[in-house]
Amino acid sequence: MQKLEFFIRRLFTSIIVLIGVSIITFTLTRVVPSNPAALYIGPRARQEDIDRVTKELGLDKPLVVQYLIYMQDVLHGDFGNSIATKRPVSQEIVDRLPATLELLFVAMTLAVIVGIPLGVWSARWQGNSLDVAVRTSSIFGISMPAFWLGLLLQILFFRYLGWLPLSGRVDSDLRFTNPIDPITGFYLIDTVLTQNWVAFKDVALHLILPAITLGAYAMGLIARMTRAAMIETMGQDYIRTANAYGLPKRLITYTLALKNAISPTLTVIGLTIAYSLTGAFFVEVIFNWPGLGQFTVHSLLNLDYPAIMGITLFGAVGYIIINLIVDLLQAWIDPRISLS
Amino acid sequence: MKSHKWYFLVTLLVVVTLIASACGNGETPASAPEEPAAPSEPAAPEAEAPAEPAEQPTEAPAEEPAAEAPAAPHVLKVANTANITTWDPIKSFSTEAAYMGNIYEQLLRINPPGAAERFTPLLAERWESNEDGTEWTFYLRQGVKFHDGEPMNAEAVKASIEAAADHAGASFIWWALDHVEVVDEYTVKIVMTTSSPVDLIASSLYGAWIVSPKALEAAAADDGYFEAGIDAGTGPYTIESYTPDQEVLLTRFDDYWGGWQEGQYDKVLITIVPEAVTQQQMLEGGEVDLVTRIPQENYDDFRSNPDYDVIVEPSFFNYVGFFNTLHPPLDDIKVRQALSYATPYDDIIQIGAYGLGTQSRGPVPQGVWPWSPEVKQYTYDLDKARELLAEAGYPDGGFSIKLTYASENATEEAFAPLIKDSYAQIGVDVQIEPMLFSQQWELAKADPAAPETQDMFLLLYWPTYSDAGSDNLWSMFYYTEKPFFNLSYWNNPDYNAMLDEAIAKTVTDPEASQQLYIDAMNLLVDEAPGVFYFDTQAIFIIPNYIEGFQYNLNYPFVHYFFYELSSAQ
Repeated sequence: MQKLEFFIRRLFTSIIVLIGVSIITFTLTRVVPSNPAALYIGPRARQEDIDRVTKELGLDKPLVVQYLIYMQDVLHGDFGNSIATKRPVSQEIVDRLPATLELLFVAMTLAVIVGIPLGVWSARWQGNSLDVAVRTSSIFGISMPAFWLGLLLQILFFRYLGWLPLSGRVDSDLRFTNPIDPITGFYLIDTVLTQNWVAFKDVALHLILPAITLGAYAMGLIARMTRAAMIETMGQDYIRTANAYGLPKRLITYTLALKNAISPTLTVIGLTIAYSLTGAFFVEVIFNWPGLGQFTVHSLLNLDYPAIMGITLFGAVGYIIINLIVDLLQAWIDPRISLS
Repeated sequence: MKSHKWYFLVTLLVVVTLIASACGNGETPASAPEEPAAPSEPAAPEAEAPAEPAEQPTEAPAEEPAAEAPAAPHVLKVANTANITTWDPIKSFSTEAAYMGNIYEQLLRINPPGAAERFTPLLAERWESNEDGTEWTFYLRQGVKFHDGEPMNAEAVKASIEAAADHAGASFIWWALDHVEVVDEYTVKIVMTTSSPVDLIASSLYGAWIVSPKALEAAAADDGYFEAGIDAGTGPYTIESYTPDQEVLLTRFDDYWGGWQEGQYDKVLITIVPEAVTQQQMLEGGEVDLVTRIPQENYDDFRSNPDYDVIVEPSFFNYVGFFNTLHPPLDDIKVRQALSYATPYDDIIQIGAYGLGTQSRGPVPQGVWPWSPEVKQYTYDLDKARELLAEAGYPDGGFSIKLTYASENATEEAFAPLIKDSYAQIGVDVQIEPMLFSQQWELAKADPAAPETQDMFLLLYWPTYSDAGSDNLWSMFYYTEKPFFNLSYWNNPDYNAMLDEAIAKTVTDPEASQQLYIDAMNLLVDEAPGVFYFDTQAIFIIPNYIEGFQYNLNYPFVHYFFYELSSAQ
């Protein structure tokens, strides 16, 4: 029951957070010294056209009224039309979301399945060369800017070695030979569903470089967090006792210690997912990845304020949901953590 | 304890499902189209984008069930920076011209300078005007069909031009339109209120496409009719699919009046790639055949590569700097002349454009009418500049000016500091203020005389259609009470009178008109309300295996007319 109460309380505070975010974003996009109507209509517009659009977009009303109208529309699922593409913002987001989520999912999976074992081994053989290697490379992953790493990988694997494709989600030739049927928008899933193995392989190859670029930061952070937590846990009495009983090393490390050490790593994973969403901005631009990040960059550069608003609100909701899931997961894995 | 965990998992699942289903309601038509995925069919490439226009007469080859892997289409792959701001051919006034130019056609197309004929007939086979250039009769090509199956005839031309004059992005090109008359099914008469070069206007890149009347009606009823990627032109290509911000797939229109030959492309796949570096890598890696932009500093890599032709041509664009003639001391001709002498033209071209440019002669770009080598230029001469400043009463300079430029323009960003450095040598301090073009524009329009308004405005300009007299010279320096592009706010009655006369004589007496324009430009250079930095040059990298490329500076945003290109399959 305590958990249900927690859930409701969080939902309530989340709504307040969202209202705050919407007010701040709305104000910021409107105080930028530019005229949205002039942007909407293009650079060589006549004054009477600008006036007409100003009226059409409701920009002649007081800011508070504009905000209330906007929020009313948002509650009805209408985020307005993008200035750049003239299409509904909600549609733009829904169309681009699968590309970003697929990339994010692969990047995070990579980060977790590589990062956690590295952290564990590094802790277990603390001080030896493997540990040094893991620590160095994780620092490297954390501190290297995504755009730089992305370019390096492109130059190495595309330009010099020619092993991996440069950019995009799928090779353009495929659309004539093995077209992908966008059922879910997640190409890995779509190609499996339609047993389009040629395309599946191509999609997977296209994912490798951007996923490594996007996942590098998370991987480094996860490895370091796991290592630190493991070292702390391994020094505790119950592990010493287990060692004294002569329990197998594997059982001690992976079952007894890891389960207790994983909690901070989990928090970190949740946070890095949100952080990686912002990393996706750079990665998507570099790899010409047709996702939300690229759309965000375009929108910012074009001062496309309905799109900026829509994306920010959407991002805020995503962030809140991820945090909520992490909190709940933590409580489930480690009952010592209280939700209150 | 265990049961609690499950209780939570279930709650989570319910929440996630709810969210997922809520998103599902807003699901796009992307997956809606009737057939639920037939993976075994290798047939016609399925459009990925939403809603193909139902009435489009796309022929599906490879219908026979026995057909093994259909012959791969001959595909041209292009990386283009150009985004689509609208698919509406009437409203179009931006970068989508790269696609519009291959989908729609005008009555005529103006040829690049040096061609044998000035115009290529497209939808009009021949045309004539009355003596004073107010009535223009166009005799249309017969048997031409729009992509939606409608016939192209005089009614369609009338509807298109009337729509353009009424609400085109560039409707002002038709400002002198009186009415359009249908003489017979294939003859149309365009009547203007004043002598006008309708041949030039009708070949404009904006506001002159001939569009199927059926589509125009649909667009009148529904503002967003075209936006899903619907087209209704007569051009060689039609939109097969469109994914915003990502790609445009054009496919050839089998009934195109020009016919099709071996080697021309069946399909053109355009990937929208904003990053110049990525475009270069795609070209070098063979992912695309053509690109529209690579970093300027890297063109030399291709010059030395025998697999590519690097083509440099004059272009439609030039860079101009406006002095605010309402702000002292810039209201003094001598000061403006001094600053014109203190401008390092060659360095600006070398550093701003990597040498791809030529110093301007007035505001008309080279290759566009009425450009002339008789128009004077300033040289870079600091002594002369100091002398003039002294004559004006500013022997050591000693004043400060605020210069604005569009921060999204890398060329201006590169050369603005050169102006600052050079002006500093004659004692004039420059404060450079980069801002988004829209902000720069608004500041300039708000209150020209106000002290916070800029003293210098850097602008990249190009004419809407190939008449830089009635466009560049008029828009940028003719005085109107509310300035349009006259951001020097300069008002010279002699200049205005010369322009009025030159415009009126464009059709009736082109030679006299050009002479008037030359005189007007020389007056402009003398009075120096602006600095005329340089005309840019266009550069193209064409792989050897592609034939037929010819740059047409009159259609700069089209880049490539795909119909003209071919290669061995």
